[in-house]
Amino acid sequence: MDREYKRRNFITTFTKGDIFSKLSYVFCGLANIRYGQVVKGLMFLLLEVCYFVFLFTTGVNLLRNLATLGEHEQGMAFNEALGIYEMQAGDNSMIILLTGVVAIVVTICFVAIWLFSISSGENARFNHDHGHHVNTFLQDVRSLTNENIHFLLLAIPVVGLLIFTFTPLIYMILMAFTNYDNEHQPPGHLFDWVQLDNFRTLLLSSDKLSQTFWPVLGWTFIWGIFATFSCYFGGMILAMIINSKGIKIKKFWRTIFVVTMGIPSFISLKVVGTMLGEKGIFNVLIQKWGWTASAVPFLTQASFARVSVILVNFWIGVPVTMLMVSGILMNIPAELYESARIDGAGPFVIFRKITFPYMLFVTTPYLISNLIGNFNNFSAIYFLTGGGPMTLDYYKGAGKTDLLVTWLYKLTADTNDYNLAATIGILIFIISATFTLITFQRSGSMKNEEGFQ
Amino acid sequence: MKNKTVIGLKLDHFLKALVAVILSFIALLIPFTSKEAGSKNLIGTSISLLSAGHGAAVSFFLYLAAVLTIASLVIGVTAYFRTSVKIVRAWMLVQIFATFFWTTLLFAAKVILEEGGIEDSFLLKSAGPGFWVGLAASYVSLVFIMKVAEVNTGYIVLSILGVIWMFPILWIVLTALRAEQGYYVGYFFPKNLTLKNFYDLFHNSAVPFGKWWLNTMIVAVCGCVLNTLIVLGTAFILSRTRFTGRKAFMNILMIIGMFPGFMSMVALYNILKGLGLNQSIGALIVVGAAGAAMGYHITKGYFDTIPKAIDEAAIIDGASRFQIFTKITIPLSKSIIVYQVLGTFLGAWSDYIFPRLLFGDRQSSYTVAVGLFWMTDFRRIDSYYTQFAAGAVIIALPIVILFIWLQRFYVEGLSGSVKG
Repeated sequence: MDREYKRRNFITTFTKGDIFSKLSYVFCGLANIRYGQVVKGLMFLLLEVCYFVFLFTTGVNLLRNLATLGEHEQGMAFNEALGIYEMQAGDNSMIILLTGVVAIVVTICFVAIWLFSISSGENARFNHDHGHHVNTFLQDVRSLTNENIHFLLLAIPVVGLLIFTFTPLIYMILMAFTNYDNEHQPPGHLFDWVQLDNFRTLLLSSDKLSQTFWPVLGWTFIWGIFATFSCYFGGMILAMIINSKGIKIKKFWRTIFVVTMGIPSFISLKVVGTMLGEKGIFNVLIQKWGWTASAVPFLTQASFARVSVILVNFWIGVPVTMLMVSGILMNIPAELYESARIDGAGPFVIFRKITFPYMLFVTTPYLISNLIGNFNNFSAIYFLTGGGPMTLDYYKGAGKTDLLVTWLYKLTADTNDYNLAATIGILIFIISATFTLITFQRSGSMKNEEGFQ
Repeated sequence: MKNKTVIGLKLDHFLKALVAVILSFIALLIPFTSKEAGSKNLIGTSISLLSAGHGAAVSFFLYLAAVLTIASLVIGVTAYFRTSVKIVRAWMLVQIFATFFWTTLLFAAKVILEEGGIEDSFLLKSAGPGFWVGLAASYVSLVFIMKVAEVNTGYIVLSILGVIWMFPILWIVLTALRAEQGYYVGYFFPKNLTLKNFYDLFHNSAVPFGKWWLNTMIVAVCGCVLNTLIVLGTAFILSRTRFTGRKAFMNILMIIGMFPGFMSMVALYNILKGLGLNQSIGALIVVGAAGAAMGYHITKGYFDTIPKAIDEAAIIDGASRFQIFTKITIPLSKSIIVYQVLGTFLGAWSDYIFPRLLFGDRQSSYTVAVGLFWMTDFRRIDSYYTQFAAGAVIIALPIVILFIWLQRFYVEGLSGSVKG
């Protein structure tokens, strides 16, 4: 028996392996059984059997239906036995797609188990051939609290993510390539694959949809930039004032601003939303104070509404930044300030030359993730204006302060244009991914995890 | 003044302060009211208001602004000749009040002038230059006097911002205590105070607020336990252990995280329906726990800062990885655990979109967020607005207290998230 001291990889396990290793590509766990891990090997085999039973009883059908998304529309059909027309249940494209996705996910899981069984068999062989100890089943189980703890602690999160996040996500991604809109609602109607049509109508056509998409995208960017940087600088300045020398009862001042953070945002946003209404308290008061002669359309006129949401977001967002910055400000070495002051630098110069560069250096990743967060800041818009004011220039339902996410939500909740919603979701993903890649490039901590140990 | 020095005072700004105070005194002499009202100055206005004998109660703002400005000038001139810390402090105090009353005129001028019979329909923009010069000069002089007295001028900014920040909160509280029902009321302070709104909230068959509160509490507490355990476990594994597929796992989580969360909600709803879990708060807890691992970043960042040497020492002593997790890492991570628990707890009270979709019209399953939002629907807002505010206060109060109490941990968690 030729001994190699290198473990084999996925391919060499097959090419160089003996008959058991080779056969374990077809019958999972055979190698484990051969080298003494009978229980483990049988479990692999059992899982394989289960999968193929599933595949040949229902799986194949589910996957085949996925290609067509159903062929029989619900409708009247002639029943020969009775000689009458009767209502016949048709295929439900939505359920076909969903079960198809489940079948795909199950298959992916099986492939993962298959790969794992091969590597596990190879491990058993390696240990056996080299006279190492081959773990018994009980020892394997015990290793779950030690070197294999990742299986123990990640099991629940992985299963949870797989069922409740991954599967629905795949389903929605696939939906972007169908025509599941308000005119193709199952069970009454079928929907079908349309390839990239949704992207084309949304991005390129001169349709009302693309005339909605581009302005909404533009506003999403403007909003994201204003919301992020206004809160960033506002919070920073506020933190610097509170932390500056000579301000007493700092805790009191901080608490005043922190109160807004403690209130669940949907409440504060909804309340401020009603305050800003046409007959809301703000309008009542400013007329009483003689600031304006008539009500200001805070939320009902496009440009006013846009400024209002940014200002209200400022009200909510500044305390968060303030708290965060407070922590960092204390880390700036005091000697830097001391020497700058001796050199005659005023407070503004100190901010520009010391505080701000330091802050920017430390908080760039935060800033970018915050920017992405604001692009997707659903609650700030939805609870305050609901996306309004509505306009006839846009596709039905979209308003002048709608972000891509709020529009996405409206498309699913109000108009049932699931395909468009899914398409927008994918576009949002592309935008977020781009910005995240930029963060990756800039941030040391993300590239080098061990850096600050 | 040039060569004077007084310990505790910064006299470089003294002259500027004095000039500003003189300017605000001059503002008393130039037109305050609009042209239609005869461009009276502030002193003239005060005299005619006093002689009229009737008028708004808030007229005293106007008198005080005038009197305090003159007083400030007098003290300022005195301080010029007999400079001492005490006099400058008194000057500052007077100027603080003068500035305050000048500011109140921004809000009260209309009432004062109209009820005093001086103007018919006053608008701020038609106010004379005396108004604006006086307001600006009073702030400028306050800033300079504070500089002379070596008091941090940040107090001015903090006070103004504090008022703005508290304004909507005060409104919620006042609305919750308001006896007059309805959404549209033409005044800020309620005419009658009552606790009936709170009482109604719990004794109204159409609005089972107590049930909603209990539902949310269950979701919040279960979420705190489950989510925190899952996040801690995931973060521990990703931070302290190395295994094949670890990087891939993190990348997958990151990619999933970049899709907008509620894109998949409709599909999730269908899956839950298939599992027979829809319309129950159990589903909310399960889904929350299932997605919790996505938020491992901050905790992982925190674990990364715990020296690896501790783990290595424990391994040499024969501890298993699981023991390291429970006996070493968790006891060292109090602040991040509090951060996580607080975040989950808060999230449970404000989560709206998914519960809304999940529960549909089954009111008895609602969480407070869904329920309160249901009350603010445009068909109901007028009859439920004060109760909505009462509900908001009931929810917000414990959270705010919790938040203020545990603020320190929150800051640690937040600044942990931005470590370079």
